[in-house]
Amino acid sequence: MEGSSSEPSGTNPSASGASKFLANLPSRGLFSANVITSNPGGMRVYICDRDTSPPEDQHIKTNQQNILIRSLTLRKQKGDSSSKDRVEGSRKRASEKVLDSRASTKRTNNQINSRQEASTSQASNREFQGLTVERLRALLRGKGLSSKGRKDELIARLKGANS
Amino acid sequence: MSIWNYVVTAHKPTNVTHSCVGNFTSPQELNLIIAKCTRIEIHLLTPQGLQPMLDVPIYGRIATLELFRPHGEAQDFLFIATERYKFCVLQWDPESSELITRAMGDVSDRIGRPTDNGQIGIIDPDCRLIGLHLYDGLFKVIPFDNRGQLKEAFNIRLEELQVLDIKFLYGCSKPTIVVLYQDNKDARHVKTYEVALKDKDFVEGPWSQNNLDNGADLLIPVPPPLCGVLIIGEETIVYCSANAFKAIPIRPSITKAYGRVDADGSRYLLGDHAGLLNLLVVTHEKEKVTGLKIEPLGETSIASTISYLDNAFVYIGSSYGDSQLVKLNLQPDSKGSYVEVLERYVNLGPIVDFCVVDLERQGQGQVVTCSGAYKDGSLRIVRNGIGINEQASVELQGIKGMWSLRSSTDDPFDTFLVVSFISETRILAMNLEDELEETEIEGFCPQVQTLFCHDAVYNQLVQVTSSSVRLVSSTSRELRNEWHAPAGYSVNVATANATQVLLATGGGHLVYLEIGDGILTEVKHAQLEYEISCLDINPIGENPNYSHLAAVGMWTDISVRIFSLPDLNLITKEHLGGEIIPRSVLLCSFEGISYLLCALGDGHLLNFLLNTNTGEITNRKKVSLGTQPITLRTFSSKNTTHVFAASDRPTVIYSSNKKLLYSNVNLKEVSHMCPFNSAAFPDSLAIAKEGELTIGTIDDIQKLHIRSIPLGEHARRICHQEQSRTFAICSLKYNQSSSEESEMHFIRLLDDQTFEFISTYPLDTFEYGCSILSCSFSDDSNVYYCVGTAYVLPEENEPTKGRILVFIVEDGKLQLIAEKETKGAVYSLNAFNGKLLAAINQKIQLYKWMLRDDGTHELQSECGHHGHILALYVQTRGDFIVVGDLMKSISLLIYKHEEGAIEERARDYNANWMSAVEILDDDIYLGAENNFNLFTVRKNSEGATDEERGRLEVVGEYHLGEFVNRFRHGSLVMRLPDSDVGQIPTVIFGTVNGVIGVIASLPHEQYVFLEKLQSNLRKVIKGVGGLNHEQWRSFNNEKKTVDARNFLDGDLIESFLDLNRNKMDEISKVIGVSVEELCKRVEELTRLH
Repeated sequence: MEGSSSEPSGTNPSASGASKFLANLPSRGLFSANVITSNPGGMRVYICDRDTSPPEDQHIKTNQQNILIRSLTLRKQKGDSSSKDRVEGSRKRASEKVLDSRASTKRTNNQINSRQEASTSQASNREFQGLTVERLRALLRGKGLSSKGRKDELIARLKGANS
Repeated sequence: MSIWNYVVTAHKPTNVTHSCVGNFTSPQELNLIIAKCTRIEIHLLTPQGLQPMLDVPIYGRIATLELFRPHGEAQDFLFIATERYKFCVLQWDPESSELITRAMGDVSDRIGRPTDNGQIGIIDPDCRLIGLHLYDGLFKVIPFDNRGQLKEAFNIRLEELQVLDIKFLYGCSKPTIVVLYQDNKDARHVKTYEVALKDKDFVEGPWSQNNLDNGADLLIPVPPPLCGVLIIGEETIVYCSANAFKAIPIRPSITKAYGRVDADGSRYLLGDHAGLLNLLVVTHEKEKVTGLKIEPLGETSIASTISYLDNAFVYIGSSYGDSQLVKLNLQPDSKGSYVEVLERYVNLGPIVDFCVVDLERQGQGQVVTCSGAYKDGSLRIVRNGIGINEQASVELQGIKGMWSLRSSTDDPFDTFLVVSFISETRILAMNLEDELEETEIEGFCPQVQTLFCHDAVYNQLVQVTSSSVRLVSSTSRELRNEWHAPAGYSVNVATANATQVLLATGGGHLVYLEIGDGILTEVKHAQLEYEISCLDINPIGENPNYSHLAAVGMWTDISVRIFSLPDLNLITKEHLGGEIIPRSVLLCSFEGISYLLCALGDGHLLNFLLNTNTGEITNRKKVSLGTQPITLRTFSSKNTTHVFAASDRPTVIYSSNKKLLYSNVNLKEVSHMCPFNSAAFPDSLAIAKEGELTIGTIDDIQKLHIRSIPLGEHARRICHQEQSRTFAICSLKYNQSSSEESEMHFIRLLDDQTFEFISTYPLDTFEYGCSILSCSFSDDSNVYYCVGTAYVLPEENEPTKGRILVFIVEDGKLQLIAEKETKGAVYSLNAFNGKLLAAINQKIQLYKWMLRDDGTHELQSECGHHGHILALYVQTRGDFIVVGDLMKSISLLIYKHEEGAIEERARDYNANWMSAVEILDDDIYLGAENNFNLFTVRKNSEGATDEERGRLEVVGEYHLGEFVNRFRHGSLVMRLPDSDVGQIPTVIFGTVNGVIGVIASLPHEQYVFLEKLQSNLRKVIKGVGGLNHEQWRSFNNEKKTVDARNFLDGDLIESFLDLNRNKMDEISKVIGVSVEELCKRVEELTRLH
């Protein structure tokens, strides 16, 4: 929008009231005809006979996790990775790192196994919390366990399987 | 009436709640988008002004509307959130002209207290997230990823419980909100929070400001380079940022809306509660704010939204008055106003009350509404159909036909009006005094009936009689040529245009003549197998004087045929079916589409699409206009051609959005019509009806006609009195003197034709008019106005005192003749068995009209009934009384004559907070409640136990999405006793958004049929933004959500007519009913409103 940022040159005492502030109103050439006509009728009513559902992944839902639990888990993770004062580090990556570093000491066939074994350590609960549900499900499936249920149940099941 | 109801909108919502400007339809185009509660309108800004583009129905009440531009997009997206916690992101696809759903979702939470101050939906200026405040103590975040896609939403706990406004700040490296809130000591503060998307939490923001103006309730974020926020209070305006604080005092006012003028945020328009428009200027040096200035500009409607358009033009959207297009002038006008109102867009909302009257005594209802609020209050007279405004009329019996003729081919105006009778033809003409007087055209044959007349080329006129065709000079008025019918044959029907004549004689002979300069040439003759009933050669091709096609209606085989001209070859033959012959055919063209209209002798009209090149006719549709034969004739008004169908129910056929529409004309029975565009009566019509010839002009061609009577005060109740031909209203006027605001309440009497105040009765201080009624009492022939009032004292929660005032109209004056004090507010008054039934706070009270010894009357309490929270709405029928309670739904009372007592008979035990009730029939009652739902309950007289009989059974439920203030029995359209639609009883309702709607009780068979149609339409017509129709119409309140039942959505059903043919076929196949039949049945329903 050109001509819009004009600072009103408001020191002219003869310009009464608002006149001095109404100068240089933004214009892009619309509403410029001498006679402004409008045609209030004749508006087409939109009848939509096409599919209106959004793209698959754009059907938005709300995260149902309790705010308190979420903040506690987030804080825990934070505490976990507090040694690293990285600002941009993704938590997921951070937790994976932890896991990977521990797993690397062990003999492993694949990544999933490494994680399973790593999770037997004392801090397993915290680390499981740091994993996404998808990841937990993959772990469970790897173990041939049911991958149904909420995150807490998944973790409990994993822990049960590992202990 | 019945429990099977059909709900349809007669007048769409007009209350403008939101508006915004952006590049929505294309990167180059600038659009104004307006939200009218359940609809959005898209307009295009052009050099010539606002150009309307699209009216989009939304399956929800729009809570927030925002335009935004995600990263990497060339045009803006539209974000809409609805009050029932759905949201969608829409994108315009310019190629297909469709709205595409980019995202949608449900943002409701299972637990949460809905906010008191309305839902807030905001979008980060850098498009990192959408913020929603829907429940107290929660802030919902829908994050964007870096490709502009939305991700899973999450809630953040917000400590502030009484939030007044939340906005995003500009120019922050992390998305930052500023929250204006009230603490538990009622002090108001602002606070900023950064939204930490990773932690899904708030981080304390860069600044905060405590103890603001006590009336602060609006935040305006200032864009870069200044940044920061403006806090608009009732007495001060504050600019606040991390490093600056500026404040100015303002004249006390409540700012309702703002609009940013400059992209850099240095000027804003503010609209206040009194409709004053102010300019707020943020003075600055470079990026440092140096101060604020506020300048009054002038008065507009009370704004609910302000959008600066371009070049000093501003859109003012209003909830309380008409929305406006205004221009800001550099110099003030004589009254010192810089605001020039260029356009008003009618808004009926809020309709607080209305009545249905027949002012012109034509058997057609008109609705007179109390519309608008505060200074923008008005009465609106809403009438269906098209009005003819009579200019002149003469008594003339037995008119058989009429045509207008010009005195020369080039004359723009008509001079002669040829009126044909059974055995003579008379010619009327405008004389020099602009009066219609009888004259002569020497060349015409006046002793016989004229079959057809027309202007012809070369300054000639054509007259067709049963024996000949006469070609007459229009200048010398002498006969120039004549064609005689062959001996033994007489002309039965004829038609002509400027160069052609087509006529039919007995025995099925069709004769085609062409008109030359002084000569009539018989070009072609054809012999058809049956007699011809009607003809037309109206030119609709490129040549306005010559038609290549002729339409012919036939006896015996009941067909309509298209012949080519000049060779009279048969192109198409369409059998009409049935036994009713076509009585009038017409070739016509609307909005570039050609049609063949064919009217039958029983009042039905068929229309076909006509291919002018091939002469093929397709897409047959049938509607019923009346019961008598129809004569079709074109006329033009405002340079557009329409068709007038003269019959027992005259109708104007016109086209809108390439769809044929039928609008009633406010005349009873018209036998003939012809356009008569004379210099004295331009654009007029000559109409022959019931022994009378009328010249009149026609209203604008539109379905509903609205007349506004601005009052300058807020009318709250209205009632009409037939006998005194007056309206009485309860109104209040706000006096805004500089020191303090006060309000005065009045009872005013208005003439029912001029709508002028003819008498006023001022109420006491603090006394409100609550109800008004025109009634008479037993043993007294006078008709009175009864008014119920309440003393609303500031220290009382509920009024404890009120009055019932009884007035009589004498010599156009309101005379108070009786007055009765009550122990509360008189919320409702009803005439009841020759007595007066009042609802006073918790109580229903019956008053007798008693004659005193001195000859005066008084109201004497007879009996009453307790047991309501507040009895707000009362309707009666016979001895039954239906009460709508503040929060206890509907109850049914009965008056027992012998005992002189009122007892409760039954009640609905749901906790509905009522806004209106109406009695549909003896057993079924209709209610509207404050969650925008409608429901019906049924009396259970056959119940086995007292408990069952004492319960009103809920039989119908529906989410209307509108707050209904009043139901009234009546109809907006003229009822024909012998048409199907004429039998359907209707109730009209008026709502806060300015909707006038109709509820029609259908026979069960029709209901079942339409329900099937509705469920099929749901599959074809999709909700914009992926919103679901079934969910939208489901009955919903705090306690429950259940599917709609025994109510049909007429708006959805009637949109069947807007579908393209393929979709219609698709539905027709599923239902197993022909498209023609479906169209006919739906079109019949459209004639209910």
